[in-house]
Amino acid sequence: MLSISLPSAAPPLPPSSHHRASSDPDGDITMSASADDLDHLPTTLVTPGEPLTTSPQWMRGHGTYLTPPSTITSSVLGHITKTNKLLSVTPLHSRYTPEIGDLVIGRISEVQAKRWKVDIGSHQHAALLLSSINLPGGILRKRTSTDELQIRTFFSEGDLLVAEVQSLFQDGSASLHTRSLKYGKLRNGMLVVVPSAMVPRSKNHTVVLKGGAGAGEVEVVLGVNGFVWIAKKRVVEVKKPEGGVQGMVSITRLEEEASMALYSNENDEVDEATRKEIARVAGVVRVLAREGVRVEEEVLKIGYKIAVEMAEEGDEGLEGERGRRMVERVLGS
Amino acid sequence: MPREELLSPEGLRLDGRRWNNLRTLKLSLRTHPTSSGSALLTSGHTSILCLIHGPSEPSLRSKQQHDRCTITVDLTYAPFSGTDRKRRNRTDKRISELRSVIQRTFSRAVMTHLHPRSEITITLLVLSQDGGVLAGCINAATLALIDAGVPMWGYVAAVTVGWVPGQGGEGEEEGTPVLDVNNAEEGELGVLTLATMGDKGRVILGMLESRVRLEAVEGLMAVAVDSAGKVKDMMDEEVRRHGEAIARAAGVGS
Repeated sequence: MLSISLPSAAPPLPPSSHHRASSDPDGDITMSASADDLDHLPTTLVTPGEPLTTSPQWMRGHGTYLTPPSTITSSVLGHITKTNKLLSVTPLHSRYTPEIGDLVIGRISEVQAKRWKVDIGSHQHAALLLSSINLPGGILRKRTSTDELQIRTFFSEGDLLVAEVQSLFQDGSASLHTRSLKYGKLRNGMLVVVPSAMVPRSKNHTVVLKGGAGAGEVEVVLGVNGFVWIAKKRVVEVKKPEGGVQGMVSITRLEEEASMALYSNENDEVDEATRKEIARVAGVVRVLAREGVRVEEEVLKIGYKIAVEMAEEGDEGLEGERGRRMVERVLGS
Repeated sequence: MPREELLSPEGLRLDGRRWNNLRTLKLSLRTHPTSSGSALLTSGHTSILCLIHGPSEPSLRSKQQHDRCTITVDLTYAPFSGTDRKRRNRTDKRISELRSVIQRTFSRAVMTHLHPRSEITITLLVLSQDGGVLAGCINAATLALIDAGVPMWGYVAAVTVGWVPGQGGEGEEEGTPVLDVNNAEEGELGVLTLATMGDKGRVILGMLESRVRLEAVEGLMAVAVDSAGKVKDMMDEEVRRHGEAIARAAGVGS
């Protein structure tokens, strides 16, 4: 929480006997005083310009500002969040704000000398440094000037990729990395964009759905920024190493083999049944987000199962009323 | 049109309102879910749609400011919005002026320092015009910005007030203010457009484009500030209704 500023020079407490009685010798206020104050905070939605509290013991967090002398006022439409003595307002709907460790999906918007600019649907484009990607030929290889000249062979404008937020710059924009086999260029699928609030942060952002009726497995990558990638499941083909230990591949060898295909721009062959299932999953994601249901692993699995059932019952498609019926069944289960 | 016709001896205006009646104000938020924020405002026969895009990477490098976000306003009159069909081009002086007024107003109302190097685009489309277009644009933009979750110092609420001069007879009043003017009144009278920010009636915009007696201005402003507060309350009511509907849907899902 870097961007939180303390109220400048908190005004002295009124010299009331109540406060003196509840204060420590070093001037700290005990929790009983704040417990009194909790009851006075609005519990429902707050709107911009609405005063939240006049008590000087609260620190102002995101979504609030200080009106002199000590009134904390909301600046967005949302719910109050209390973290110890920090008072913030979480907006109901806003663009994605990156946080370290977030899994995001983005599109390359610009190629610069040593970095890419990636559109992740945030306030600003994120940066992906040449030094924070897996270079072909092993993870341990040093970046050379040849790589700089070949920067477009890794990612070029318009490419979609999945990455993790490595760090944040002073102004809140993100720096990404793809230094894991889970991350990298995206192929063989389609992108669905939903509001970022519809994809909560969770342990697992990759969901594998078993396609019925001869279709292969469908892999869904839920970007915290609301970008959802739905594709044929990636199969990492590992060739038997010549002369090595039978069936075993060293970690670095695996990286090497994988990175050959890592930056390919060619789609693999995706058969029709799988393509149909990809489209069905895309419909499920869109409908869930439209109806205000957050897209999570469990919800998605149930939603997909119900969509398949509905199709079997002859209720194919998820437009309008059918989508609402699907969501009702998801919530009912 | 003679001025006495704008206000009948009984104190009724052309459309049957009293001097202090606002037209029916219909507000709706999130009319276009694919934008960052959107709102549709209908006030009598004036109808304005507002879409927000951003905060996002500026469309042009030159729009990037290192310490704050840039606010860009795009205002379009639909060709069918007026009484006679006509296409207005973007370089129209009147439109440029309104755009710059709206841009300056929201540069002060939005907490621009929170999103440095980015841009917020406010796109306004006038679907139908019957007086009070600037005030309508400002109110629609406020709602759309709130929907987009952009931090603001408070609501910006705007109203128009016209001044109907008296006949100059002995013992007669000097004139009457008329609230929320329509197209016919706007063409005849001196009209003040005024916007306030927040609860305390802080005036953030005042625009008076025609001659009005100096003594009348104070009265006009008092009426305008007072009714801007009412408009703010109506907007707040709609924002809460909209917010609760969203919160309810999200609550069901989790």
